[in-house]
Amino acid sequence: MAGLAVTALILGIFCGVMEIDNGLIHLICSNTDIILGILMFSVGISIGLKKGIFQKIKAYHFKILMIPSAVVAASILGGAICGLLTGCTVRQGASVAGGLGWYSLAGITIGNLAGEQLGSIAFLSNLLRELFSFFSIPFLSKRFNYYSCIAVAGATSEDTTLPMMIKYTDEETVVLSVLNGVICSAAVPFLLSFCYSR
Amino acid sequence: MLIIIIMCIGILAGRFVFPQKYKNKNEILQMICTTLLIFSMGVMLGKRENFFADLASLGFKSFLFFVIPTGMSLFLTYFLTERFMKKEERQKENKNTDRAEAE
Repeated sequence: MAGLAVTALILGIFCGVMEIDNGLIHLICSNTDIILGILMFSVGISIGLKKGIFQKIKAYHFKILMIPSAVVAASILGGAICGLLTGCTVRQGASVAGGLGWYSLAGITIGNLAGEQLGSIAFLSNLLRELFSFFSIPFLSKRFNYYSCIAVAGATSEDTTLPMMIKYTDEETVVLSVLNGVICSAAVPFLLSFCYSR
Repeated sequence: MLIIIIMCIGILAGRFVFPQKYKNKNEILQMICTTLLIFSMGVMLGKRENFFADLASLGFKSFLFFVIPTGMSLFLTYFLTERFMKKEERQKENKNTDRAEAE
């Protein structure tokens, strides 16, 4: 799966750089929402096929919020530290990391709020987070625990990194992953604007 | 929100309608969708103006902004889940084993 993903990414970048834009590529790129919808429906089927999963999830109670809270708090704190290390302000640093892997939104929003350079840093760093989480899930699921895979994925744990979760963790983690993704994705716009509010 | 609704419909389909024997075919569909999504992400990145120039000039700062928050998220979550979630699971498993043994 990881090899296939790398090949698809490199092939995609190549097609983008060479401006190869035939009917098939155009069809794929202009229908990503539909592809994501099919993927989520398929993921739902996988979850539905697993018996007894919701009893397990119910047993967590409020602890279900532990992972998204840890992800948001650690990311913001890490971003603030980066801000100090790189000569940006703490708020700017926190806002860059506040993208939680959602590179398109973070890049554009921070670009508008703080200029092109910080916007590019936000775009690249959040893109790196998504790519890293995608390819590190097989390793993290073995060496750490399944919940760690959700932590690195941040806001992407409900969509792009979800197939890797399905492949390398269990159905229970997949449900937690989707919940984490929903909470983190909802938090990103607030985090980005909060870091710039007075 | 739409994504969540679609997934919930999928869960209901998996629970009540979808035959277990097509589980593998469903996994293949997931793999195809994922590959297409990654490919389209690559196309989008390749088309982005100054992508490689940005990568070269802002690469180190971007790397720092990626590695510290991601690393901290990883270690904090690992610590908290090992401390509070795993332990509870183990306790539950132990209780179930004790109950089974008593019966």
